[in-house]
Amino acid sequence: MGNDAVEIAINTIKLVVCFLLIVQAVPVLVWLERRGSAFIQNRFGPNRIGPLGLMQLLADAVKFLHKEEFAPAKAVKFLYYAAPVVALVPATLAFAAIPLGAPVHWDQYVFPLQGYEVSVGIVFVLAVSSLAAYAILLAGWGSGNKYALLGALRASAQVISYELALGLAIVGIIMTYGTFNFGEMIHAQEGPLHFSFMGHELVLGFLPNWGIFYQPLGALIFFAASFAESNRLPFDLAEGEAELVAGFHVEYGGFKMLLFFIGEYGHMIVASALMATFFFGGYGLGFMTLAELSASVATVVQDPNIVSLVTSLITFAVFSVKLAVFLWIFIHVRWTLPRFRYDQLMDLGWKTMLPWALFNTILTATLIYVGHL
Amino acid sequence: MPNVDTSLAAEALARPETQTQIESLDLIAHSATLGVGLSHYLILSAILFVLGMIGVLMRRNAIVMLMSIELMLNAVNISFVAFSRFQNLIDGQIMVFFVMTIAAAEAAVGLAILVAIFKRFREVNIRFFEHLRG
Amino acid sequence: MSMDSFLFWFLAFITIASAVTVVTITNPIYSALALAMTMVGVSAIFVTLGAYFLAGVQLIVYAGAVTVLFVMVLMLFDLKHELSAFSRGQISGTIKVATAAALAGLLIGAIVWTVSGFERVVSKPAAPDSADGMRELSHALFTKYVFGFEVLGILLLIIAVGVVALARAKGGTHAQR
Repeated sequence: MGNDAVEIAINTIKLVVCFLLIVQAVPVLVWLERRGSAFIQNRFGPNRIGPLGLMQLLADAVKFLHKEEFAPAKAVKFLYYAAPVVALVPATLAFAAIPLGAPVHWDQYVFPLQGYEVSVGIVFVLAVSSLAAYAILLAGWGSGNKYALLGALRASAQVISYELALGLAIVGIIMTYGTFNFGEMIHAQEGPLHFSFMGHELVLGFLPNWGIFYQPLGALIFFAASFAESNRLPFDLAEGEAELVAGFHVEYGGFKMLLFFIGEYGHMIVASALMATFFFGGYGLGFMTLAELSASVATVVQDPNIVSLVTSLITFAVFSVKLAVFLWIFIHVRWTLPRFRYDQLMDLGWKTMLPWALFNTILTATLIYVGHL
Repeated sequence: MPNVDTSLAAEALARPETQTQIESLDLIAHSATLGVGLSHYLILSAILFVLGMIGVLMRRNAIVMLMSIELMLNAVNISFVAFSRFQNLIDGQIMVFFVMTIAAAEAAVGLAILVAIFKRFREVNIRFFEHLRG
Repeated sequence: MSMDSFLFWFLAFITIASAVTVVTITNPIYSALALAMTMVGVSAIFVTLGAYFLAGVQLIVYAGAVTVLFVMVLMLFDLKHELSAFSRGQISGTIKVATAAALAGLLIGAIVWTVSGFERVVSKPAAPDSADGMRELSHALFTKYVFGFEVLGILLLIIAVGVVALARAKGGTHAQR
């Protein structure tokens, strides 16, 4: 946590803030979703409460807090109340491990812009994301409702099936960059694009050295599998709102349902953050390395502490923009594509994504072996 | 509290070959004040193993018996990793890979068998299957 | 008490408490959830031992897949009528627990008698740095243990085929007796 009181204090505050960043980002996301979906469907979204409807979710939260809080008669009370909390934890744990900006160098301290720095970053994020299946199962069983249970079993089978494709799509990136650590991966994506194959170098100055140019198939599989992991359309049969009412969280109302939504949006945010980190350079600007950015900030500001702080803020803004782009793609896809049937969904996960992800792994391994021969 | 036995360490330090092998002296000091050594992890592993064994012997629900077997395998994993750490050999962690894979596969097959039994008999309590028939 | 030892005692307490819950509680679903908690505890113990990758794999494989499978199967079975959760017979039950306790005593005695004094002497400093640790692990896996690795792959293939074959039996959960 740190060697002296200042460092411990700042690290503690940073841990709490990063942990709660997802909860803070959800209102903005819900507003984006409701207005965005409205414009896609050629209507206005919420536009009464606050300018442009920005206070809508605040009003929703107040409404939810005032709803009657009850548990169904046949529910297993402990599991019924535990499930929304368990839904919140994996997404927040995973998000706190992802670097959001360049580290701040202040005097003799170095503060990375993440909740905690994990040396096996990817494995940790995959591991805590895989605990998301429990929230679904606890909700389905704790509701005491046969249909909620069926929805929960289907949803958890879907989640654990797509974890495989997700993990295998990442293996290509791990092989390309040779590390599990997020910070090193982002560092390796700096500068202009340069391939080196069998001694020949190819430098394309107008493109950044991002992972998407090294692993296009991996990026596609990862992005598609992350839709299934967060139960978003087109993979949300388990909670299809028009057909199954609400699947595994049908018996939840009020604030508990809000917690499930925060969990779902949390998984969306984690998936977007991972997409940005692996394939789009993370917090780095495409056309400038971090050192060049620091140097150009240093021409404006004198104090090296403030230079480091401003650099971190700029990289944080860049990361937020990338995050927003991917979240907008998530929202856009939700209101554009129709839903998969359950057997089509499972076939896609096992019979299409898994073989293609394996093929991607073998291809990447062959190219790396041949290229560095 | 574990008694700190520094006599062996002092002896090892005095030998010339150990002097050249030891790259950081403060690790010796650190492990002397670590408070938790190999024996702690092994005792934890033994306790978990015996708890799993009690589960297999005492419980009558076949699924809970399978879960107790998983508990025993996890206990063994802890002892492998503890040895790997304290003897500084990587082979312990490789064994854990193998044990983990085989345990997961065995759990899958065991559950498939239990599902087939449940489809046929509607019971998984082993007291219905105590007598050989035929 | 240093941070390391506090962490060890805390995690050991949680793991053993969850394991006791697995074995003693009557409702099998709570048993399975306690097993998930035990797996998470074991994963945390791996982290204190410096095996970070194994901790992640333990969470992904055991807590995230195997225990979920157990919970799903239990939820499908819906065993409300848990008659005689524990084995009948006071005498045989006592003998079983006594034997297990005797085994525990033997094991702990053997451990304390053999190991104490060993762990204070390290011949080279253990470096649980994950980059080197991972490299060493994968190197050993693909050179020294490659045969076992390949056999494990074939074993998994056989298991997958076998499980699908077993699950195709006719019947369903509402089969007639």
